[in-house]
Amino acid sequence: MNSTQRVFAAVTGEPADRRAFTLTLSLYGAALTGCPLDLYHSVPERYLEGQRAVLDSIGPDILFSPFVLPLEGRAFGCELAPQKNGPPNVKKPAIRDDAGLRALKAVDVESDPGLAYLVESVRLMSREFGPGVPLAGILTAPTDLAAMILGIERWLEILLFEPEAARDVLHVAVSHFHAMGSALLAAGATCIVTPVMFCNPQIMNPELAGTTVMPVLREAFGNAPGPVIFHHGGIPLSRHLDLFKDVPNLLGFVLDERDSFAQARQSLGPDPVLLGGLSGPHMPGRTPEAIRRRVLDVLQDRQDDPRFILATTSADVPMGTPLENILAVRNAVFSDGSPS
Amino acid sequence: MAHPLSDPAQELYDLIITARRAEAVDVLLATAGRTGFKNMVSGLLEPVLTRIGENWMAERISLAQGYVAGKVAEDVLMTAARSGEQWSGERKGPAVLCCIEDDFHALGRKLVGVFLRSAGWDVIDMGDDVCAADLVDRAVSAGARVVGASAMMLSTAMNIRSVREELARRGLEGRIQLAVGGAIFRLRPELVQEVGGDGTAESALQAPALFDSLLARSLALAPEVAP
Repeated sequence: MNSTQRVFAAVTGEPADRRAFTLTLSLYGAALTGCPLDLYHSVPERYLEGQRAVLDSIGPDILFSPFVLPLEGRAFGCELAPQKNGPPNVKKPAIRDDAGLRALKAVDVESDPGLAYLVESVRLMSREFGPGVPLAGILTAPTDLAAMILGIERWLEILLFEPEAARDVLHVAVSHFHAMGSALLAAGATCIVTPVMFCNPQIMNPELAGTTVMPVLREAFGNAPGPVIFHHGGIPLSRHLDLFKDVPNLLGFVLDERDSFAQARQSLGPDPVLLGGLSGPHMPGRTPEAIRRRVLDVLQDRQDDPRFILATTSADVPMGTPLENILAVRNAVFSDGSPS
Repeated sequence: MAHPLSDPAQELYDLIITARRAEAVDVLLATAGRTGFKNMVSGLLEPVLTRIGENWMAERISLAQGYVAGKVAEDVLMTAARSGEQWSGERKGPAVLCCIEDDFHALGRKLVGVFLRSAGWDVIDMGDDVCAADLVDRAVSAGARVVGASAMMLSTAMNIRSVREELARRGLEGRIQLAVGGAIFRLRPELVQEVGGDGTAESALQAPALFDSLLARSLALAPEVAP
């Protein structure tokens, strides 16, 4: 089986030759190729080189588009600050006053250099790696894009106390999600993976989520021109899945390492794909043996669950992670004897 | 199991949890008008903030609800300052806060500042992207015994190590205690030790208790008055 066949077996619940696995190794490609991050995050060909190295060295079953969500914020006017060991941060939000709020409008995907880089990177990967390797297009959820372009504090203020303004912002964010999602899928992405924080009950009151935020997610995901994977966004998700299980067009959920897959299955039923098991940001601080044991424990836990893909959770695997730690994941998956 | 709140405190709690900020502030100011600010704080606001903090820590309420609590406290604090009222019976001294170098996620830091002020600390907020030397300089000039450095992500959290190094280089370890916080510390609690933090809090509402304990430790380790 190739990776696409293996991943689609997990989607349909069919048997596979082994368990599909992936790590979020968007950033790690730069480490493998020694590429400076400013180039890696602006030149699609350099990103392709990095992902080629990821595929050659580690061979995950799913590759990712550049995990640089702030580029979407920059397209709206956010000021970014470069980081030594990761993608740039949002330094200043795009909207700093009421006039900016009133002037907010969708941006053109093709003419913005950052968005064009994201799309072109997927196009190059798709062309090089072909249909045998699924590509996940990472895209900011509309609710979270609003927080990025307004700043978290201002977005909370608007959500809590200015519902009409919140609806206007979300309308623009949904338009962007659709335009950018369409572009990534047209470029060759197999699905959209979208980290969602700003409707998790740990962030947002359930009542507010129900009245203001969830309708927006239903619209955005339901109208996406391809399947969407709901990513936990760094917050445990499994005990809140009842809120999200009926959102249309969701192919699956990436869960936090602290989550319970059993609890998730109880909420969601047998059909959605579950991904997760291993925290990406924890990878540098663990030994290869600890990682191997963790992977085998997770695979054992999910041995009777065909719709499961072992994956890293939370943010990208840090650049400084020893390669042997990453290979420990692959080796554990390859040595696992449980049915998949 | 938590003790039940008094009826007025339960009313205030419900107003905050349902984001009725203006009504919550009205209740507090009306109480202050009857009993004075100090009694309002100790008798009404503090028990409610404590309960919100407990529920936030137990993940029974959301960040947004904690945010409303912070805004209500801030609104009342500002009203008290304008009217010249003494906010708290006990002044704790200066505390210096910042988001560490390369970090720009201000919300958590601002909430910590609000709750520290409401507990009697004189907060000096240095803002985002502050390097270790500047943070320590400010702490020394202000005579602060506790500094707080915040980071949201792993990459920026590592920059807090330089605060620990700077404190050691200047012989200030023990005397100036380092509180660390931010989302990544909840995900990876072992990072507190890794970056050299003296302690962390589960949420902004727990920050005053943390800072109190760090102040006590500083006074125990370095009781002398700073030169």
